[in-house]
Amino acid sequence: MASDNLGDYERVQEEGKYSLEADIPTITFTEIGKRGIRRMDGYEKASGKAIYTRDMQLPGMLYGRVLMSPYARAKILRMDTGRAEALPGVRSIMRYDDPEIEGRGLNGSYFAPGWVGRQLKRSGLVEDELEGWGLKPVRPVLGDEAWYEGQPVGVAVAADSEDIANEALRLVDMDWEELPFVLDQEEALKPDAPILRPNSDSNLLEDPRQLLEVGDVEKGFKEADRIIEFTARRNAHLWAGAEMASVLVRWRGDNLEMWLREQQPYHAKMLFAEWMDLPMNRITVHSPYMGCSFGERGNPANNPSNGMNILAALFSKRTGRPVKFLYNRNETFFGESGDMMVSYFKVGAKEDGTITAVQIKNVFAVYMCTPGIEHFIDNTRIPNLKCEAITVDVSKAAAWWDRCEQLPNTFCFTLVFDHVAAELGMDPTEVALKNDGYDSRDTTHLSKYKSEHGFPDRDSLRECIKAGKKAIGWDEKWHPPGTKKLPNGKMHGMAFTWDHAWDDVRGTGSAAILIENDGTVSIIGQQADIGVNPWTAYCQIVADELGMRYQDINIKPFDLDQGFALMSPDGSCNLCSNGIVLRKAARKAKKMLLELAAQKFEDVRPEELDTKDRIIYVKSDPKREKTIKEVVARAMPMFASAGYWSEAPVIAWAWHTHGVWGEALETGRPRLGRQSHFIEVEVDTETGTVEVSRVVNVNDVGKAVSPETVEGQMYGGSYLGVGRSLTEEMIWDGKTGVLLNRNLLDYKYATMVDYGPVDAIFLETGLGHGPYGAIGVGEATATMMPALLGPAVYNAIGHWIDDFPITPDKVLKALGKA
Amino acid sequence: MKEAMSKFLCPYCSTTFGVFEELKAHAISDHKTESVPAPEGLIRLTVNREVHEIQVEPQWTLNYLIHDRLGLTSPKMFCDRGACGSCTVILDGRPILSCMTLAIECDGTTIETAEGIAKSNHPLLDSYVKHHTMQCGYCTPGFITTSKAFLDRNPNPTEEEIREALSGNLCRCGTYPQHPKAVLEAAKNLREG
Repeated sequence: MASDNLGDYERVQEEGKYSLEADIPTITFTEIGKRGIRRMDGYEKASGKAIYTRDMQLPGMLYGRVLMSPYARAKILRMDTGRAEALPGVRSIMRYDDPEIEGRGLNGSYFAPGWVGRQLKRSGLVEDELEGWGLKPVRPVLGDEAWYEGQPVGVAVAADSEDIANEALRLVDMDWEELPFVLDQEEALKPDAPILRPNSDSNLLEDPRQLLEVGDVEKGFKEADRIIEFTARRNAHLWAGAEMASVLVRWRGDNLEMWLREQQPYHAKMLFAEWMDLPMNRITVHSPYMGCSFGERGNPANNPSNGMNILAALFSKRTGRPVKFLYNRNETFFGESGDMMVSYFKVGAKEDGTITAVQIKNVFAVYMCTPGIEHFIDNTRIPNLKCEAITVDVSKAAAWWDRCEQLPNTFCFTLVFDHVAAELGMDPTEVALKNDGYDSRDTTHLSKYKSEHGFPDRDSLRECIKAGKKAIGWDEKWHPPGTKKLPNGKMHGMAFTWDHAWDDVRGTGSAAILIENDGTVSIIGQQADIGVNPWTAYCQIVADELGMRYQDINIKPFDLDQGFALMSPDGSCNLCSNGIVLRKAARKAKKMLLELAAQKFEDVRPEELDTKDRIIYVKSDPKREKTIKEVVARAMPMFASAGYWSEAPVIAWAWHTHGVWGEALETGRPRLGRQSHFIEVEVDTETGTVEVSRVVNVNDVGKAVSPETVEGQMYGGSYLGVGRSLTEEMIWDGKTGVLLNRNLLDYKYATMVDYGPVDAIFLETGLGHGPYGAIGVGEATATMMPALLGPAVYNAIGHWIDDFPITPDKVLKALGKA
Repeated sequence: MKEAMSKFLCPYCSTTFGVFEELKAHAISDHKTESVPAPEGLIRLTVNREVHEIQVEPQWTLNYLIHDRLGLTSPKMFCDRGACGSCTVILDGRPILSCMTLAIECDGTTIETAEGIAKSNHPLLDSYVKHHTMQCGYCTPGFITTSKAFLDRNPNPTEEEIREALSGNLCRCGTYPQHPKAVLEAAKNLREG
């Protein structure tokens, strides 16, 4: 391990690596885990004083707008911008054939075509310079051809007001050639389908991860008592976050300053520098508050709206003025959840509920989040698994992460387990317990891992199921399908699903802690806020680690030029990596603080000291004490008066990386925590309406640093998740290929009165690899809930509707009434 | 006496006034007439107890006026038009959607935004923070204004009434279960002074 021979860089690198050991707390929790802590951002948000990118204005600012294709697929034949240019207030017009924009492309997916791809090749991680995972081809920021309705195309404008910019776009005279399009991924694979990409002979997109295989499924099917086959479909839904996309850019000489609505501001800066051929140190990125995003802005590479960052920068360069680029609400609808999929299942099971084999074929449209079988690998003892996942280009905007990229996995996982339980006539909670495990191994192997790595030997799934069953009254209410009619005439249904908690596997961040010379503490590190209340949790951790109080700690996370960037609040990892970053930084700062204090005590060594409640005291003689404030009174970054001498500031920084996405098992780290979810519905067999009367979420979060935040993620995720299964659906017109419901009246998500009560129950088993045993929770519920409505409706009416969302027409059809 | 800004000119005697109301009063008292033509688009409104006299263009929404011109960032554009309640302000006691209201129609009105409600130390602010009644916070000011207008009319509401009153406000983060708790507590604190 760490050796004194290490160089400075090597030491930092070494301390940043994650450990497989359980993170047993060494401190007393005073602030951590406490209820009633005032959240850091609360007053600012409630009073309307919180500034979001959309709120920003700068002197002399222009407004940028871009034309969106009105056609599903079309080419510009002729474009005349003369009338738009003549409109007073129009300051600049960018045409697709202008030299500044021509040839500038957005990469199709995660990995950039240039710098990042080359780095990956150099690092040996990939063989070729990737354009991403081949999921979506590179698209021009502003071209003359549109591959989907809503694609930025042809022309953009910067004007004195948004109204003038809109008017200018209306005045552009264009001739289009409409081209054949295809909306359905399976239609797109047929021989007579139009080929959508230039220089290609198929709409099938390449992906290096398209076949995952464990064991031998044919052998597993032979061992099974029953073979269960079914097909399921998931239609597109949308993140539909609160704040519409926007960006504000201004040049300061050779330096460029941006206010970015991005969840990953540092990553955004990196890619922007690549796209713009700018040195990174010339770019300053501000990251104001963000209206919820759920991954829409979770990766600055893919979403087509990122083209506006480039357009804004080019306009600002041209005009010498700040430029704010804006999308309106209906323009934010271009881009879908990454689980537009058709799934073909074949499952083998024994009569006792043991699953012997799962075979899945998933056909994705536009983008594949995850193939769909990984949770069976990470989370069950099923020995034989096979998943073929393909991605097909269609005439729709690129799909993307949408709270979260595990949606295909949870979709397949819930449907397989609930179909098996239904087929066997078993209680689904029993089937879950029968198959719990990891990597084809049963729970005894999990127990072994736990004991070898210092984790408590608790059975997370069993505990989650027990808590959930009790809360919803499962044992009293659970019934065979189609058998329970309520006094109101509706059919009652219940369902259960489960999974591991997957949010503990990656993330890299850095931050510094400065003890100001009045004894208060500043956390230094940029981080976008999307509402998961991270700052409160960070301050709680730093307070307890330093022996201070929550109100002594503050974080100023909006600006990047301070040199530290915390892991973004997405990417499946926030607190689990940043909590460790801050814990490490706090411990280093505390060590420095005690060294400084030892000098002041004069006759004690640093290790003889400790802190508690803002006091530094001698452990063997606690009456000997000094306040932190008096110890650091002269320790400061700068001091102006020549008459005083000064002491070095107490400032420490730390870096932590928590692993690589998708490699939990490869790095020998099984997921130990589990979650279980229960739902109760009432189905009106006359109208086909499904009402969700009760939801119970049970998440093992390992350790809840901020209990209210944990609950917020859970009930919030339930509203989002249930909406996706019930009412949220993007509907395209088959004849024209255009989206019909791109507004928040016709794209319906939950209001306060739509669903019954949601119980958010969390367990704290200490089974996570995060700080103090924490496991992430932000993605879990929203991703688990969508598929759960299927088995619930099945339990109510006795017919499967494996076609999501489950709308009344599908219910009536299943009942033979439509 | 301070010299008035020469913004409005009396058509009868060429005296200048900084505020149109003063010119009107002057015309009535000194020239015994009310027929002073108001400049087109000039409105006078009170926002958070501050009086604004401002020349508006006919297409400006109240949201544009408040948010972009007066710099009060609390009425948020979320759905873009009329579906979410995030731009709600209180106009003469009623919660209204500022994105669906033309500024030019608001002459003579009194408006409250979340900033004003916060400034008046209304207990809603404290109870919202205490109950974590926000996540990303983008829709929160709209809930604050809707709740304030509701409590003004119904100081002792039931949970069901609160849910009904707030059912027009969308929150994508799904913070819904916390609002009734926060509003009930604020109502109690208001009643108990």
